[in-house]
Amino acid sequence: MRELFTIARKDAKVILRDKAAVLVMLAMPLGLIFILGSALGGIEESDAIDAKVAIVDLDAGETGALFVEALTGSEDIGNLFRIELGDDADAVRTDVERGDLTAALIIPRDLTERIAAGEPVALEVLQDPGSRVSAGVWAGVARAAVSAASSQIVFGRVLGEAVDVPGVAPAPPGDSAVPPQGAGGYVGPTLPMLTLDIVTVEPVEATIGTRISMIAYYSAGMTGMFLLFGSMFGAFAFLKERREQTLARVLTTPVSKTAVVGGKALGVFMIGAGQFLVLLLGTTMLFRVDWGADVAATVTLGLAEVFAAAGLAMTLAAVGKSERAVGGIGPALIMFFAATGGSMIPSAMLPEWLKPLQVVSPVWWSVNGFLDVMQGATLADVIGPAAAVAGIGAVLLVFGIWRLEYR
Amino acid sequence: MSTIVEVTGLRKRFGDIVAVEDVSFTIAEGEIFGLLGPNGAGKTTTISMVSCLLSADAGTITVNGHSTGRDPIGVKRSLGVVPQEIALYPTLTAAENLAFWGRMYGLSGADLKRAVDEALELAGLADRAKERVETYSGGMKRRINIAAGVLHTPKVLLMDEPTVGIDPQSRNHILDTVKRLNASGMTVLYTSHYMEEVEYLCDRIAIMDHGKIIAEGTLNQLRDVVGGMDVVTVKVDGLADETLDAARAIGGVEQLDRTDDTLQVLTRSSGSILGVLISTLESAGAHVVSVSVQEPDLESVFLHLTGKSLRD
Ligand SMILES: Nc1ncnc2c1ncn2[C@@H]1O[C@H](COP(=O)(O)OP(=O)(O)O)[C@@H](O)[C@H]1O
Ligand SMILES: [Mg+2]
Repeated sequence: MRELFTIARKDAKVILRDKAAVLVMLAMPLGLIFILGSALGGIEESDAIDAKVAIVDLDAGETGALFVEALTGSEDIGNLFRIELGDDADAVRTDVERGDLTAALIIPRDLTERIAAGEPVALEVLQDPGSRVSAGVWAGVARAAVSAASSQIVFGRVLGEAVDVPGVAPAPPGDSAVPPQGAGGYVGPTLPMLTLDIVTVEPVEATIGTRISMIAYYSAGMTGMFLLFGSMFGAFAFLKERREQTLARVLTTPVSKTAVVGGKALGVFMIGAGQFLVLLLGTTMLFRVDWGADVAATVTLGLAEVFAAAGLAMTLAAVGKSERAVGGIGPALIMFFAATGGSMIPSAMLPEWLKPLQVVSPVWWSVNGFLDVMQGATLADVIGPAAAVAGIGAVLLVFGIWRLEYR
Repeated sequence: MSTIVEVTGLRKRFGDIVAVEDVSFTIAEGEIFGLLGPNGAGKTTTISMVSCLLSADAGTITVNGHSTGRDPIGVKRSLGVVPQEIALYPTLTAAENLAFWGRMYGLSGADLKRAVDEALELAGLADRAKERVETYSGGMKRRINIAAGVLHTPKVLLMDEPTVGIDPQSRNHILDTVKRLNASGMTVLYTSHYMEEVEYLCDRIAIMDHGKIIAEGTLNQLRDVVGGMDVVTVKVDGLADETLDAARAIGGVEQLDRTDDTLQVLTRSSGSILGVLISTLESAGAHVVSVSVQEPDLESVFLHLTGKSLRD
C-alpha cells in the first residue's frame, strides 16, 4: 500500500515536470475561458434598465386586454421597457430562464371569468433574477398598472356597468407603492367581496436561480473538458515507462501489480485534483467567476471527473499501443466528450441525434452539474450526476486495467 | 559455501524462437558468476526469468531458498536488478530516482536517506545528486542505473550487460564497483559479451550460445577445454577458398576458421606451424598482412566450441 503512494507521487512528479502537460492542463483552459468568455459575453454583466419584457394575454374575456392596454399605453413605461406581446407562455418562460427577456407578465385564461365570479386571481410575473433591478421595477410597474385597471373593473361592477372602460391611465412606476386598499375604500361595506385583492400579482422566480455570465459558463465548460486531459498524460506516462523499461524494473521489485496500476491511476488523480484546484481558484480570482454557494457540491463533481480521468488514462494506455496513438485517440475522444457535454456550446443547442450520446460523456454530467451549482443547486442535487461521472470512470478504470499490457 | 541461486532445466520460447533451452547452473553464496555469450544468446531472457519478469516454459529457479514459481515476492526481496537498458526516470534527479527505487524495496526514513547517500557515493556522483538524470552522460547514467539496483543491499545482484556503450573510464569504475560490492558480501550474476570483463570479474563462468550453455567452469577449467592451445590470428589479402583447405591440412593445425579476411587457427604448436602456414598462404597467391599469437582465452574457447568469434 505504501508503494502505491510512492508510485503515485513519483508519477505525479514526472507529469508535473512535463512542460507540455502543464501547458495543456492549466494554461490552455485558463486562456480559452478568458478568450471565449470575454469575446462572447464580457466579464462584467451590465444591467441596463432598457430591458426587454413580454406580456402574454391568455384571457378568454376582455379584462386581460385592459391590463395590456394599461401597460402599453403609458409613455413612462415605454421609456423603461421594450414591451413585446407574446402568445406562447412557455416560450416566454424559456426566454426569461435563458435571460433573453428580463421579465414577463402572464395573464391567465380565466381572468375575466374569475373576476366576474368574485374569485381571487393570480397574475404571473416572471423575472430573471440575474437582472434583479430591472425585473424588480417591472414587477412594481405591473402591480401598479394592474391595480389601476382593477379599480376600474371594480367600479364597473359596483356601478353595474359593462367592463368597457377605455383608456385606463396607469399609475407611473413611482406610484407602485400606492396600496390597492385606497381604491377599496369606495367599495367599503357595500360589497366586501369585491376588494381589489381579488387580483394579486405573484412574482415567479424563473427556474434558473441565477443568470450565468459567459465567462462563468466557459469556466464550467472548459474545466469539465480539460480535467479529462490528465488522462492523456497519465497514459503517456504509462507507455513511456513501458518503452523505457522502468516499468519492467518496477515489476522486478517486491511490489504487487495492484500497487503498480493503482499507483499509476492515483498519480493521475492527484494531478487532476491539483489541476481542478488551480482552475477553480484561477477562474475565481482572475475572472471573478462565482462557482456557486455549495463548494462541496462543486468539489464533489470535480473530483468525480478527475476519477473519470484516472480511469480514462488506463483505458487509453490499454487501447493505444504507443504514445503517438494515444496522442491521437486521447484528444479526439476528449473533444467528443466535450462537444456532446456542452463545453463549447450549450448542450441544449446540440443537434438532436447527438443528445442520446450525452449520457456517456463525463463532461456532460459534470458541466451541467457545475452550472447547476452556480445557479444555486446543492450537493444533494448534484450527487446523482457526480455518481454518473464516477460510474463512467469506474467502467473505464476496470476496462483499462483488464486490457493493460505491461511489456 | 552454500548455493544461493539454483537454476535447472530452464526453457523459454517466443513463438518459433527458442530463446533459452535446458539451461542449468548454480551460484554459490559470495560468488561472481558470469554468463558470457554473443548478442541473442539468451542471457537477458535467462535473467528475466530469474527476476520473475518472465515466466519459464519449463524448469525451476530458486533464489535464497525461494522459488520463482511459488514465492516470487520472496525471490524479488532477495534480488537487486540492474537491467540492460538504463531504466531511470530522466526528469527526476539522481537522488529522486534512487529514493524511489529504495522505497520500492521498503526503505524509508533515515535508512533510505543513508542508502541513497551511500549509493551516490558508490556511483561517484554525490556532487551531482540534485541534477536531473537526463543531463547526465551515458557513463554517469550507467552508474546510477547500477546504484539503483544495489542501494537496498540485496543478497543477490543480477547485472545484465552493465557496461554496454560507455567510455573506458566509466567501464573501469563499474568493474571496480562490482568487485567492491562482491567484497562486501553480495553474490553477483553478471552477463556480458565482453570476455575480458568476465575473465577479470568472475569466479565461475557459463558460456551461452543459441539459448544453451555450451561450457561452464572456472576460467582455468574453461581454458583446459582448448587444452593449452594457442590462437594464431592471420590477416590476409586475396585469399581463395582452396587455400583454406591446404592450410587446414598442415600438421598441427587443430581448427581453422575464417571471418572475412581474418583467419583464426587453433594449435598446440604455434612455433612450428607459423612458417609453414605463411608460406602455404603466400605460395597460393594470398598476401599476409599481419600475424599474432595469443595464449588461450575465453575467445579461443568460444571459437573452439562454436567455430565463430564472440563478437560476430
Ligand atoms: N520478447 C521477445 N519476443 C520475441 N523474441 C525475443 C523476445 N526477447 C528475446 N527474444 C529473442 O530471444 C533470443 C534471446 O534474446 P536475449 O535473451 O535478449 O539475448 P541476449 O540477452 O543474450 O542478447 C533472441 O533471438 C531474441 O531475438
Ligand atoms: Mg541481452
